[in-house]
Amino acid sequence: MKYFCFTFMIIFCWKAKAQPNCKAYLYQGDTLKYEACLVAEKRAGYYQFTREYQEALDEALAIDSTFAYAYKVKSTAYLKSGDFITWKALIDKAVKYDHEGELFYRGWCRYQFFRDFEGAIADIELLDSLVDYDIGFGQNGDYHLEITRALCYKAIGQPEKAISIIEKKLSDSTYFASPYDYLHLGVLYLEKGAHDKAIAALKRQESENDLAENRYYIALAYREKDQLDLSRANLEMAKKLYLDRSRMFEPYTEHMDKIYLKEIEQEIAKSTKMAE
Amino acid sequence: MMPKSKFRTKHFFGQALILLLAFIALTRCSTEKKQSKYLRSVGDIEADSKQDDPAFKICYGEAFLKQYFNYSQGLQYEGEMLKIKEQFEQAYVPVEVDESGWVRIRFVVNCRGESGRFRMICSNEYYESRDFDSRITDQLMSITKSLDGWKPLPDSENPEEYYQYLIFKIDNGDIIEILP
Repeated sequence: MKYFCFTFMIIFCWKAKAQPNCKAYLYQGDTLKYEACLVAEKRAGYYQFTREYQEALDEALAIDSTFAYAYKVKSTAYLKSGDFITWKALIDKAVKYDHEGELFYRGWCRYQFFRDFEGAIADIELLDSLVDYDIGFGQNGDYHLEITRALCYKAIGQPEKAISIIEKKLSDSTYFASPYDYLHLGVLYLEKGAHDKAIAALKRQESENDLAENRYYIALAYREKDQLDLSRANLEMAKKLYLDRSRMFEPYTEHMDKIYLKEIEQEIAKSTKMAE
Repeated sequence: MMPKSKFRTKHFFGQALILLLAFIALTRCSTEKKQSKYLRSVGDIEADSKQDDPAFKICYGEAFLKQYFNYSQGLQYEGEMLKIKEQFEQAYVPVEVDESGWVRIRFVVNCRGESGRFRMICSNEYYESRDFDSRITDQLMSITKSLDGWKPLPDSENPEEYYQYLIFKIDNGDIIEILP
């Protein structure tokens, strides 16, 4: 429930930020963007994939070809259909005309949809260098962009840097941990061989948001410490949580460090053999 | 009172005008549709008898095709994404070429869990369109077509048909990621 509320809050805030108030452009003296914004509203009621939705945005961009928001919302259907070529061309224009406003989205999408780790790091770090406020969360609200940056460093072979970034973020008293932060930290410690630290982080994950994944990885850590009973019990719990759908989930893509039922069952079989 | 012949002439011109207006309206509509650069939806794949398996049919019609994420149920494949990755690990033979980027294969899954209408796009690491060595793309297409664990989208009443895609991140001829 805690994480549901948290995610809802993040998404709500983002949505509030995402829908531009056309009159704001008018107050800023940008009448062209105001006109374009009004035309873009013709897409209301149409699904983002539809011809009508795309054409309304084209019409808006014909009025003001620097309307970053229109490029961004136009790009989303291409992103979700996997058309990385058209998506990138559109989102690049959004970023070109609104660096601070759209870099977060491009960086996040490069990570989430294309596992373009270097590209995501470049965008997130550029954004961080441009603003003096919190760079905020990725589009789905599951990750702060600092944690995203850490996962990208892990993926390109710099786990120590990833650990350092996550530790720093989690030690910030103003930061409220996201649904998977301690899980990823625990996995990083586990892969490094720091089993006690891994267990501590994964127990913290358990208390914050108990998932099949943290039970699975903690079981591996206990096995390394020859605590086979604890390992087995956590694997059994991992399977139960998995079947109850208490596991990492994202509707569009799959999270890093996600585990699958078959992997849990293989580890259970392994632990059964070890006990014989 | 208006003479009969004059009334007929006026009636004739009235009907002709209505027909003319209707013709203009119809022509305009069809012209507008023809001029649109978009299909019904972004990412739609029109059936093409020249490249598609004639045995592949959808059950409910184009307008009812969903996107894979529409029901927020995750990937609908027997054995999950892990199984897909295993199938590629077993079947794909890396090609030793200096070619990297992304390959997307998009297709339709019908109400019986069959897949068809496969289409491919490719880009380099900078998201610019490019061609890959056919030894890479032929393998990707062939293995994707052989995947037989697709399931329709779970719906309370009818199994739903949908568009699915697989993206392969290629590094020097090898697969290093499979998405979504």
